[in-house]
Amino acid sequence: MADVRALLEEFDRISKSPKQLLKEYNEAGEKVVGCFYYTPQPLITALGMVPMGLWGGQVNPQVAGKYSPIFTCSILRSCLEYGMTGEYEGLSAAIMPILCDTFRGTCSAWRAGVNIKLIPFVHPQNRKDPGALDYLIEEYKYVKSELEDVAGKTCTDAELKASIRLHNQKNKVIREFCSVANDHLDIITAVERHHVMKAITFMKPEIIIEKLTALIEALKAEPVCNWTGKKVILTGITAEPDDLLAGFTANNIAVVGDDLMQESRLYRTDYPSANSAMESLALQWLQIKGCSMAHDDNNRARGENLVEMARAKGADAVVCCMMRFCDTEEYDEPYILETVRNAGFMAFSIDIDQSTSDSGQAITKIQAFAENNV
Amino acid sequence: MMYAMGIDIGSTASKAALLDENGKIVGKEIVPIGTGTVGPQKVFNQVLESADIDKEQIAWITATGYGRFAFEGINDQKSELSCHAKGISYLMPDIHTIIDIGGQDIKVMTINDKGGLMNFVMNDKCAAGTGRFLDTMAKVLDVETEDLSDLSLQADEVAEISSTCTVFAESEVISKLSSKIKTENIVAGIHKSVARRVASLAQRCGVKEEVAMSGGVALNNGLVQSLEEELKCKIRVHEDCQLAGAIGAALYAYEGMKRERME
Amino acid sequence: MSEEAVVKKPKRPLPKSRVMLNALVDSIYEDAYEAERKGEPVGWSTSIFPQEICATFGVPVLFPENNAAGIAARHDSTRFIQTSEGKLGYSNDICSYARLSIGMAHQIANDPDYEPPALRMPRPTFLLCATNSCFELLKWYECLSRELDIPIFMQDCLFNCFEEEPAVHRNKFGKSQILHNIQRMEEFFGKKFDWEKFEEIQKISGENSRLFDECVAMNDKNPSPLNGFDLFNYMAPMVIARGRRETTEVLLQLKREIQEHIDNGTTTFGSTKEEYRVDWEGIACWPNLGYNLKTMKKYGINCVTNGYVGAWSLHYTPGNLEEMASQYMLSSTNVLSTRSMMGKRSDVANRFGCDGMLCHVNRSCKYMTYHMFVGREIVEEKCKIPVVTFDGDQADPTIFNEAQFETRVQGLVEIMKQNKEGK
Repeated sequence: MADVRALLEEFDRISKSPKQLLKEYNEAGEKVVGCFYYTPQPLITALGMVPMGLWGGQVNPQVAGKYSPIFTCSILRSCLEYGMTGEYEGLSAAIMPILCDTFRGTCSAWRAGVNIKLIPFVHPQNRKDPGALDYLIEEYKYVKSELEDVAGKTCTDAELKASIRLHNQKNKVIREFCSVANDHLDIITAVERHHVMKAITFMKPEIIIEKLTALIEALKAEPVCNWTGKKVILTGITAEPDDLLAGFTANNIAVVGDDLMQESRLYRTDYPSANSAMESLALQWLQIKGCSMAHDDNNRARGENLVEMARAKGADAVVCCMMRFCDTEEYDEPYILETVRNAGFMAFSIDIDQSTSDSGQAITKIQAFAENNV
Repeated sequence: MMYAMGIDIGSTASKAALLDENGKIVGKEIVPIGTGTVGPQKVFNQVLESADIDKEQIAWITATGYGRFAFEGINDQKSELSCHAKGISYLMPDIHTIIDIGGQDIKVMTINDKGGLMNFVMNDKCAAGTGRFLDTMAKVLDVETEDLSDLSLQADEVAEISSTCTVFAESEVISKLSSKIKTENIVAGIHKSVARRVASLAQRCGVKEEVAMSGGVALNNGLVQSLEEELKCKIRVHEDCQLAGAIGAALYAYEGMKRERME
Repeated sequence: MSEEAVVKKPKRPLPKSRVMLNALVDSIYEDAYEAERKGEPVGWSTSIFPQEICATFGVPVLFPENNAAGIAARHDSTRFIQTSEGKLGYSNDICSYARLSIGMAHQIANDPDYEPPALRMPRPTFLLCATNSCFELLKWYECLSRELDIPIFMQDCLFNCFEEEPAVHRNKFGKSQILHNIQRMEEFFGKKFDWEKFEEIQKISGENSRLFDECVAMNDKNPSPLNGFDLFNYMAPMVIARGRRETTEVLLQLKREIQEHIDNGTTTFGSTKEEYRVDWEGIACWPNLGYNLKTMKKYGINCVTNGYVGAWSLHYTPGNLEEMASQYMLSSTNVLSTRSMMGKRSDVANRFGCDGMLCHVNRSCKYMTYHMFVGREIVEEKCKIPVVTFDGDQADPTIFNEAQFETRVQGLVEIMKQNKEGK
């Protein structure tokens, strides 16, 4: 148990102090590239740099308002605030996929207000079109050349392939952790699970593999917990802060799976084998399923995916964690709640807002769910 | 004789209800100041006083409301959603939908025959349509919040207030005032705008009759009428509507007391 | 996204071009009703989809954005928006056109007592979605596709983060999509695609784009021959019938009328003196258009130009699908980076001799709002004119505030006045 505790504490620490980690990378002479949502991270690793997720933070923006309207989604607004106030100093570049209108705007705002090189690119949304793959390969080639400028070097196809294998292995270990965690819901509470999942967005793939493997082993040594409380699946962009997640634990509710952008969505889809490394990177995007930001011809893919997850994990409810002012998620919200309810599960939404630390209303909803056999 | 107490600490008022060993309501009090003030303690003392019992006779206290975590000396706390559902179901057994407008929250709940919560929705973090919104509007009109109801019932026309944003609605009201529109008609317009917003939340939850309103705002007949028009159904209001949360909490406390005794 | 009869001034007879325009709009809706009656395909389309394709197939297509603007201008949007926000549970944060049209689609599909708006939309059998105007369009059309259980034909118009023209690989992807959409449509409609007719329609579309640009440009005269808001009305044929000869006729007539005004020194701005020339940025505040116009007239402001009306001018060589795709990736102000878009707007504001810029911070149109927040510095620097914003919405009447609007206009006038006196 001591092993488990020590490892969880480490993940907790990293999840709360990415800036410290960034400083350590920089001091070791390593270049770091910030990554919003879906980015071709193996390119960064292959070029000997470190990918770090950008997720803003709990902050009430003071200067971001110069370039972003108040109804900008809470997370990109806090990212802009951090960019403008020097919190992201030490990043050599940031890769920004233009996945929604707020990204379109933040792309312009970043250039106007943040002094960190921006590498924007656009995923194809018409993913079934036969031209989508070639397009994305070319788009990634441009991202690669920009990254090569930052790294001051280039990489071979073999190096890139090795990096892709590493990232796939990372994905596998993360998925395994999520699965093993469900046997130890007494230890891996909603908050602990989030700490791990958030910390790994800041860590190097090889370190993730090492630490998570250790955690998995340590957990396996513990007795399996027969969780008698309620179980939920979280869906949305992020589920933060800790206070809010603690509301689940306080009400004897465990998180048994997630469909969060910051957490599992990033690791669900591996880079498939392909004719070239670049093709493999691009194919991965075409294979992503059930995400609000990747258009699918099956217009119910996300709802079905959530129902399937709820069944597989024996969940009682799906909680829609609505990022404040994220229109992309807001369009999905009604139908996923309906789909999940029609399949016999409870579903409800809670607000996620990085600009306030008050989670009172969300906790009330969580508690009401716990108190009633809804 | 031992007693069970429910205390509902809201953002703008504190409420308490007391049940005896037979589950009979023996005390209920409201103090018009909420969490972070002396309100909770005051209502606690008042309800004891009114029932003429000692602190030591309280076997169980359940707290609810926004300030439920901050009140000391309680046995447990329950969410206001559960408490309103339970309280209303106790007061009016045929109810299946509850609309509660509090100081900073609008809640809509559907409940089953046993008072169990089936579904619920709440407003987003915006004051539009809440009790606080009405307070602000009353201030602009230079009238008391309690008078809004009578005023709107005297309206001969409904002035259109289109903004839902508090700041904008305020300036809309001012411009209506300066163009000499009757205060009564403006109040009716304010009620209509609140009713629309609340109705859209209620429809989201799925309105199952019969419908009841709880919370202090339910005492505003003008608003209730406006909401009935929007929802196209009758809304029932219990005289103790403001105490629904506290009574629900007291019922939980009563269960806690019984459970403890069994053990 | 324009609609006729927005500001009713029954005193003055409509100019001939407007009468022609109204007849054209009616005939296009009539074609769609006819197809609906016969059980043939009818489409709903985002406003800047390559409509040349369906025009070639001879399949009628209508435009929810355009229709929504008309409904909002007639103050009939609330009932549809309420269905979306209430029964369907959509957040009031999403685009009001989307809320309006999803609510309408739901009523069409589920409500036996459905009461259509003045300009009724037929029930569609397919959707056309281009992502140039914004990303929300795609999410909105996903909702329509679920609500009505019909397929989407999509033209993914990639956001151009840079100031240069789209790179080759982007145009290739655009071309691939045009070809494959045609293929899929051939199957879906059960019709063969006529490539010669396609080229003919492309030609007409190009001609109309040129004519429209000319009409817009003629407004740079001082005083301006048109009341700037008139342009919102003449967008309609460009949006819904870019590839039709009748549109050419309307635009030729409009051009003649503008020329007449210029020759006679008259203007549709009316008897008020044009004291200030202003660039209006953003979509019209449809529910409040009359109030906006009245208030600005009071201060002698004519909105002589706006960046948004030009979004339907597409110039490419007929037959060249890569060029065509490229144009669709460039036309909307919302598919461009702020630097390119506001740079262009500054040039236009200079050419039109604008004294100020009035920006509609449209609650529904997030990216356009970003342009204003980020681009303000660019305009102020390039044009040395004041930039003033106000809050509003394209279809949701709950956002706009008359008092705020007038205060902001007054502020703008104050600065413009000082600038003029200083010169």
